[in-house]
Amino acid sequence: MKKEKLYIWPYLLIAPALFIVAAVVFVPVANAILMSFQSYDLRRPREIVFIGLANYIEVFHDPIFWGSLLRTALWVIFGVGFQFLFGFILANFLNKSFKGRGIIRSVSLIPWVTPGVLIGLMWRWIYDGSYGVLNDLLKKVGLIDMPIPFLAQESTVMPSVIVTIIWQGIPFFALMLLAGLQGVPAELYEAADIDGANGAQKLFRITIPSIKNTIFVTTLLRIIWVANSVDVIFSMTGGGPAYASQTLSVYIFNKANSLNLGYSSTMSLLLTLLLLVVAVPYLKSMFRNQEG
Amino acid sequence: MSGCKKALTMILAFALSITTLAGCQSGSQSISSAAKSESPNQPIVLKHWFWPDSDMHTQVMQSMVDDFNATNGKNIKVELEIHPWDGGQYSQDLFTAAMGGGAPDTAGFKLTSTPLFTANHLLEPLDSYIDSWEDKDDIQDTLYKTLRSVTKDDNLYLMPWNTQILYVYYRPSMFQAAGIDIPKTYEEFLQDCRKLTRDTNGDGKTDVYGYGIRGSKGGQEPWGSFIYARGGSFDNLTSDASIQGMQDFIDLFQDGCAPPSAPNDGFNEIIANFQSGLTAMTIQHIGTSVNMVEKFGDDVGAFAFPDSPQGRWTSMGDTETVMFSSSKNKEAAFEWMSYLATGAGQKTWCVKTGNVPVSKTVQQMPEIQNNRFMKISIEGAPFAGILPVLDTTTDWINNTWPATIQAALLGKITAKEAMEQLDKALYSK
Amino acid sequence: MKKRHSGLIDFFALYLPLGVILLFLLFPFYWTFVTSIKPKSELYGSVVTYWPQNVVFDSYHKLFVDFNFIKPMGNSLLVAGVTTLVSLLVSMLAAYAFSRFRFPGRKIFMIMFLTNNMFPTVLLLIPLYSIMRSMGILYTPIALILSYTTFTIPFSVWLLNGYLNDLPKSLEEAAMVDGASRSQAFLRIIFPVLIPCLVATGAYIFMTSWNEYTFAVLFTNETSRTIPVALKNLIGQLGVQWDLLTAGGIITIIPVCIMFFFAQKRLVAGLTAGAVKG
Repeated sequence: MKKEKLYIWPYLLIAPALFIVAAVVFVPVANAILMSFQSYDLRRPREIVFIGLANYIEVFHDPIFWGSLLRTALWVIFGVGFQFLFGFILANFLNKSFKGRGIIRSVSLIPWVTPGVLIGLMWRWIYDGSYGVLNDLLKKVGLIDMPIPFLAQESTVMPSVIVTIIWQGIPFFALMLLAGLQGVPAELYEAADIDGANGAQKLFRITIPSIKNTIFVTTLLRIIWVANSVDVIFSMTGGGPAYASQTLSVYIFNKANSLNLGYSSTMSLLLTLLLLVVAVPYLKSMFRNQEG
Repeated sequence: MSGCKKALTMILAFALSITTLAGCQSGSQSISSAAKSESPNQPIVLKHWFWPDSDMHTQVMQSMVDDFNATNGKNIKVELEIHPWDGGQYSQDLFTAAMGGGAPDTAGFKLTSTPLFTANHLLEPLDSYIDSWEDKDDIQDTLYKTLRSVTKDDNLYLMPWNTQILYVYYRPSMFQAAGIDIPKTYEEFLQDCRKLTRDTNGDGKTDVYGYGIRGSKGGQEPWGSFIYARGGSFDNLTSDASIQGMQDFIDLFQDGCAPPSAPNDGFNEIIANFQSGLTAMTIQHIGTSVNMVEKFGDDVGAFAFPDSPQGRWTSMGDTETVMFSSSKNKEAAFEWMSYLATGAGQKTWCVKTGNVPVSKTVQQMPEIQNNRFMKISIEGAPFAGILPVLDTTTDWINNTWPATIQAALLGKITAKEAMEQLDKALYSK
Repeated sequence: MKKRHSGLIDFFALYLPLGVILLFLLFPFYWTFVTSIKPKSELYGSVVTYWPQNVVFDSYHKLFVDFNFIKPMGNSLLVAGVTTLVSLLVSMLAAYAFSRFRFPGRKIFMIMFLTNNMFPTVLLLIPLYSIMRSMGILYTPIALILSYTTFTIPFSVWLLNGYLNDLPKSLEEAAMVDGASRSQAFLRIIFPVLIPCLVATGAYIFMTSWNEYTFAVLFTNETSRTIPVALKNLIGQLGVQWDLLTAGGIITIIPVCIMFFFAQKRLVAGLTAGAVKG
């Protein structure tokens, strides 16, 4: 009796989620996959034909694609890396009890609450090469003499946009990890205290192992999210100057905007495949842990 | 008990998704039935897409819609749908809606995206309406010609609404300090950019830059004036003359006559640079004049882009209206479009927002004639033009131009290489 | 947590780094606020002012009186609220199945959910618009709720699955040994412990729906407009209306922070003593 039930239950439980997602995205995604094998350019709708792998071959010979891919890697590694680091530190602080914790917890979410429309514009204004507040502060401190046009130079543009995405993503990690920390039993720490463990030992022996799965999942999801994010870079630099801040997702967005849907579908599928490849080690170790 | 609860939540979840779908069904039915049961006393409803350039524009537009609805006498009711300009993304949004079957009846429009829309048969040709229109001759023939030239099929899809002619804004006080007058020729203009670039407080750093270059999206319009001034043209971007114009542009930046942030400067930055006194000149149109006067009073002036023996050009910014071929009330739609082009709408819009009218009658009105910036705009009209409108143009403006110009300004490629890349992207498939 | 730090260590180990991170997080917010109360003349001044010489609240007045900003706020709240409820409920069920059952197709389904959010949405816009239109829900809040639910379910399932995997199975197994059914064990044991995680995941769903622009601009009209679209309407060809835009931003941020202030009270340890063993 019970065994049979076990077989039906999981499917019933995932059915609503699966149903909603499939109902909405199945057709559009299938459509996008088809487009990647076509010369699907809506500027020339009469010339749309199946062209096999021609888009894929073109992508592989496109230097802008490779450049954008490299920048996507930097964007994700530094962006997510520092988001996690600061988010983790913040989560641990916010987990301690101190006066005004509730307020600190809610205001530290502000970057995440800030409308995307505003983020790019505000940061562009902060970085402005003429009267951006950042230049003004640096000048006041005496670090620089002439204002730096952060977003107009190839050497500074990528670090600048990465700082913005770090800023935007810290609250996500802080909140998610904070929630995970609530599941760590206080007794573990108490026992460690009795054993005379120091802070670092507690961190690596208790905290991190206890929220291992949460860390896994949040970083994986964040990698996907950041790799796909367009609006911060788009509104700050549009990918410029001279492609110096163009990531793959921005390139896809720009191509899709000029209605070359075939080409951008191709790049999208490649980006998806790539992210899957990145996810594989994650998935493997996760599934292995669970089976064990 | 809790088993029940769980089953209940599951049912709830399913119910939600089902009601969602059911809601959809009934929704679509009610829409189609509404379309069918249009009785004579029901107003003819027109949807019009509009992007606001400021909240004042929204208010003016709404007042025009109210006025039209009250006065048209044909029981036409225009409903305004406001969509963000979003750096030009407006056109893509309009396209997405139209391709998805949700086109409005009429919409505000930019001519550069015409080929995209006509290639997908979304727009209604207007010739038959205009031919039998009493106000047809109130609009310059040349304007019709320009608008007709953007498609290859010889149809006219765009109804003129208003234009914005680019000219040079300058600060008289800075000209005085540099001891110069308004430049008469292009050569003088280039020299003045250098003369105006000054270190005002003697700390060895530039405090005022001669000219505010727009190096990001949208900068192709002022840039075009440099190309033509050397005798170049958009039709032949790789000619020596065009390359020379590009070289002038690059030199201005590399000689330090423009702010170092120029490669990423867009509209906001060039205006802010000018308004804060960082630049002495910049190129924009009449739309910003109200803010300029508010800020500087008499210490802001304008002149048309100077003449040169080799050529003269300035960009004509444009705003048209279009009718969608899916519209069920085309006669009514044209009524509304003509109200905007030559009727009371034309007058209200141009007087209140300071755009250049397309109606000859409105152009003659004292409110227009007495505006000093309007005068400069109309002075530029004879040599104002547009970019070649091809199906590559939108991509060229949004992606190729900024990236190429930025690379050239930063010295990564030469003027010649830049022009070759620009030419290739615009004219080859 | 025994009290064995001195005040000085506390300062360097807790308050200083916390202060630095908060400064980084909050400075742009401060800057937004200052911009919203600066008169126009100071915005483009050649001197950067850190507190306006003349404080003006005109923009706030204008937003509420002329702009009727309450309406898009109401729409956003409705959309984000309903999306959060639906998406959270559905995701919780699926996450529980993924975490606690081993069944054929489990990995495939999980990977499918993950892939769903790897694909850039720009390319899905035209077909999605057609789907919404043919279902007749275009321009109603349901269109946005459906889209946001679709695009938040996958991540929520994964997040909750991650949390559930961190919770020892022994928790509910103990209860089931004691004779409780699986659903009883879930509701009595797992659910209370999961509340902090549901709050966090709910916050993720809420923020995503609250701030989304691309779908919102296409799937809404004047009556169903949400905040991001209303804000974007303040950026025209004639530049940014900084005063209104920043004021709108502040007004958007504050209620969410207040809501979260109450929600975060649930972000406390749910595991009680002795509940865990290996």
